[in-house]
Amino acid sequence: MTSATELPAAAPAEPSEPFGLGSSPLRTDALPKALGIYPYAADLWAEGLLWGAMLRSPHPHARIVSVDTSAALAVPGVHAVVTAADLPPGPDGTPDGAPAGPIVADRPVLAADVVRHHGEPIAAVAADHPDTARLAAASIVVEYELLEPVTDPEAAFNAPPIHPDGNLLRHLPLRTGDPEATGEIVVEGLYQVGRQDPAPIGAEAGLAVPRPDGGVELHLSTTDPHGDRDRTAACLGLEPDRVRLVVTGVPGATSDREDLSFQVSLALLALRTGRPVKMTLTREESFQAHTSRHPALLRYRHHADAEGKLVKVEAQILLDGGAYADVSAEALAAAVAFSAGPYVCPNVFVDAWAVRTNNPPSGRMRGEGALQACFAHESQMDQLAARIGVDPMEIRRRNAMATGDPLPTGQAVTCPAPVDALLDALTESPLPALPVDDPEADWLLPGGPGGAGDPAAVRRGIGYAVGMVHMLGAEGEDEVSTATVRVSGDHATVICAAVDSGQGFATLARQIVQTVLGVSEVYIAPVDSDQSEAGPSARGRHTWVSGGAVERAALMVRHQMLQPIAADFGMSVELLTIADGKISSYDGVLGMPVSEALEGRELWATAQCRPHPTEPLDENGQGDAFVSIAFCAMRAVVDVDIELGAVRVVDVTVAQDVGRALNPRQIEDRIEAAVAQGVGLALLEDLRTEGGLLVNPSLTGYRLPTALDTPDIRIASLVEERDVVATFGAKAVSAVPAVVAPAAVAAAVRAATGLPVGRLPIQPEDAAVA
Amino acid sequence: MEHGGILVNRTIMLPTSVDEAVEALAATPGAVPVAGATDLMEAVNAGRLRPAALIGLGRITELRGWRYEDGGTAVLGAGLTHARMDRPDFAALIPALADAARTAGPPQVRNVGTLGGNIATAAPTGDTLPVLAALEATATLARAGSVREVPISHLLTGLDPLRPGELLTWVRVPLLHAPQVFLKAGGRSGPARATASVALVLDPARRAVRCAVGAAAPVPLRPLEAEAWVAGCIDWDARGEEGAALIDPAALAAFGEYVAGACVPDTGLPGEGPGSAAARLRRTVSVLARRALGRALK
Repeated sequence: MTSATELPAAAPAEPSEPFGLGSSPLRTDALPKALGIYPYAADLWAEGLLWGAMLRSPHPHARIVSVDTSAALAVPGVHAVVTAADLPPGPDGTPDGAPAGPIVADRPVLAADVVRHHGEPIAAVAADHPDTARLAAASIVVEYELLEPVTDPEAAFNAPPIHPDGNLLRHLPLRTGDPEATGEIVVEGLYQVGRQDPAPIGAEAGLAVPRPDGGVELHLSTTDPHGDRDRTAACLGLEPDRVRLVVTGVPGATSDREDLSFQVSLALLALRTGRPVKMTLTREESFQAHTSRHPALLRYRHHADAEGKLVKVEAQILLDGGAYADVSAEALAAAVAFSAGPYVCPNVFVDAWAVRTNNPPSGRMRGEGALQACFAHESQMDQLAARIGVDPMEIRRRNAMATGDPLPTGQAVTCPAPVDALLDALTESPLPALPVDDPEADWLLPGGPGGAGDPAAVRRGIGYAVGMVHMLGAEGEDEVSTATVRVSGDHATVICAAVDSGQGFATLARQIVQTVLGVSEVYIAPVDSDQSEAGPSARGRHTWVSGGAVERAALMVRHQMLQPIAADFGMSVELLTIADGKISSYDGVLGMPVSEALEGRELWATAQCRPHPTEPLDENGQGDAFVSIAFCAMRAVVDVDIELGAVRVVDVTVAQDVGRALNPRQIEDRIEAAVAQGVGLALLEDLRTEGGLLVNPSLTGYRLPTALDTPDIRIASLVEERDVVATFGAKAVSAVPAVVAPAAVAAAVRAATGLPVGRLPIQPEDAAVA
Repeated sequence: MEHGGILVNRTIMLPTSVDEAVEALAATPGAVPVAGATDLMEAVNAGRLRPAALIGLGRITELRGWRYEDGGTAVLGAGLTHARMDRPDFAALIPALADAARTAGPPQVRNVGTLGGNIATAAPTGDTLPVLAALEATATLARAGSVREVPISHLLTGLDPLRPGELLTWVRVPLLHAPQVFLKAGGRSGPARATASVALVLDPARRAVRCAVGAAAPVPLRPLEAEAWVAGCIDWDARGEEGAALIDPAALAAFGEYVAGACVPDTGLPGEGPGSAAARLRRTVSVLARRALGRALK
């Protein structure tokens, strides 16, 4: 474990450019992305490439009677058509294509006998022109026998199994305390969360190049190069070292990038044709292909005493996992563990299920599980506050969790839990001006410019929410990352397979090496799967595990560099500092440029970081399942046109527990991005289905927040209470604001309208006062 | 798709005058005229439309502006972009059309999307359409050797549709010199398709109110009875007088209900109860119509 060792104070007093930890250097890809010159995966090119296209199921649930590819093969310009029959059978000989999935291997790469969701891939085509490939894919004749789709997660329990593994993906009960306990005040609620899609700016795209050794090289914007390599190789029946993933053009990801069907099909087409194959999904296909947020149904009952202290929380939580398991089990664990929120409650009884349906598969997305629970527990806290007649902030203060308090899982929260400090910061933060005081805001009525907003019908509401999310893998997942640092001349290089998916890892790695080695020029090597494994980019884990690995490798290099010098001068390494490319002793007697100390040598070191292990939750939902938890409190201010039900979020003020601010500006950016995503879920974003068919798989139909929908986002405080076990004491920052924002917006709409607001996204009819 | 070859040898023509354009249209059956292409290319990219030939209208400069006729009519070129209609000089002329153009999408779309394209696409959510319906605008349809004039509403409803070889060239709009309002309810503050919109214009010379509801039905709807009724409730002579109440607030609210009832009829079918999609739409239309008239008479 990385200790909280004081790092050498290396930063020069007045750095010309941001330098080292605590400063705010700009992301290296920020400018190219803003200028439109950043090469995304869809811009890849290879001489003589073919174009891939996929055939997807138009039905949510059907038996495939036959697949006839002859018409597609007869199309001039078509080089290959592949179906499940071209893939080696799964481990237990399932006839279902090669099963694969991030955690549970239940998802066929190409459907063979049954399609289980709208848009499930059935075949892939390579041709010499993208139009030819698409037309050829469309000419494949598939005979379907339609099956009744299971689209209501509540009906999934008793429906005929959609999959050989059954419809119950996981049932997780949690029981702690006295089941007979009751409180004077009881509030109940039923809460519903829709399907939010990551809707990444770049749709899935990639290039596969066959290798002379019979392997294949995939150029993709994956966020889990090694995991994807291993799964792809397994599906193709190849040794992992025959598949190489080169990470390219990651557009910013708030979920897992790439889907396995896409990359295995691409690789298979390249292997089959012996030529490079490029495939880019359309926006509609992208919505069909990648996983989205788990829709959820949550039923809650809170018991409290007359003062509002929580006595008991009872909950039933149902997550719609869609057609395949993906990370549903993990999302469910978070929903259960955080079901009572960042509050102390002695008695918690939860039953939670993730079920399989014929809806689009659900997967990882910022704060999966925790977000759904946060909306419910925060809505309950507001109800409690209203019932006993105290301020929403006061009810939260009376129950707030502090360091050392237990989670309902029995695990003590040993990391800092500065919930009180967060609430204080919000209380002290001034409220935004009312529209009457700000004539310029006239056009910013709910409904937007040119909308129908009428000041006489607008009510302002203020809502609060507090939430939490775990960092790192949970329930026994092996968390580890490896990094290599090289120093040569006056610059350093970091080789680490941690993908910068927008979370800022590349910038952070640069800052770490700058701080440890005192060199300002630090290059971050492009990522590919030939490097050591760093694991997926999820839950902000790279700040901890990969940041930790980079720090250790840099410290090892530092030691190698300083050891001989220290020996020459008869002093210990600790008495030497590196700054401005120069090594100096504590007393200033010695001064030597780094390049001279290196004497033309290169120094290399590789190190690993592996946080302490966790354990699975037991049959009562008990266990030390998480490593560390980040908290966030938020205040949302909304204006609601109570006649039309139009809502505008005016201001969101955030107080967040960050452990230590390693790059304050990047933290602000990440908070803004996460709040924007949370506001999107609260008001706009819903990937709707009817009978299992996607209704709005386009950026016209799927409404993302625009600049006009995004509120002013202010940071009241970044509470820096170091997490002693985490790398540099820092906590992941990107997920928790997205978890809290929807609950805060819902609370504000409730305050403005007096309506219950039990579902997300909030529809106009939920905010219109009849 | 065609047999043998996958890719059709497509033709793109770029006429520089209306005459050239209608000749090209007559000479190339199946050719599709295209201006901003904001709707058309979406259909092409999605594979719903594979035009045999395209006639680009962007170089016909005469259609990109407007002129006056008889002192009381503006003749708008079909190639007028939404961005152009939003400019102050145009907004002073036909305020409701400018308001509709302003909400018609993000700047990238408004910069190229045209008035003619909005009419030709005839999407239920087309923002300029209820305004044109309320203004009782007419369209000039040109074909080789002939020109005819058709009310926009006839064009949209299919009563008198665009015929083969015809090109929409001009839109005639009466200049009313009186308040006009366009209000739109969309799903977000940023550009969004209308869930409902209301265009309302006053015609003081005829002491008339004209109103059209957009997005509630495949074409804009005119609540003629509500218009006639409310025109009688307005104190037309008080117009322009300082602080004069032109209409009883109760009449405003009743007008909203009247319009909503006319345009989103209560069928009484099961599933049409309070809280149903129709009931919600009725409520939205009612609020928009009430607010639109209130603003026009302010």
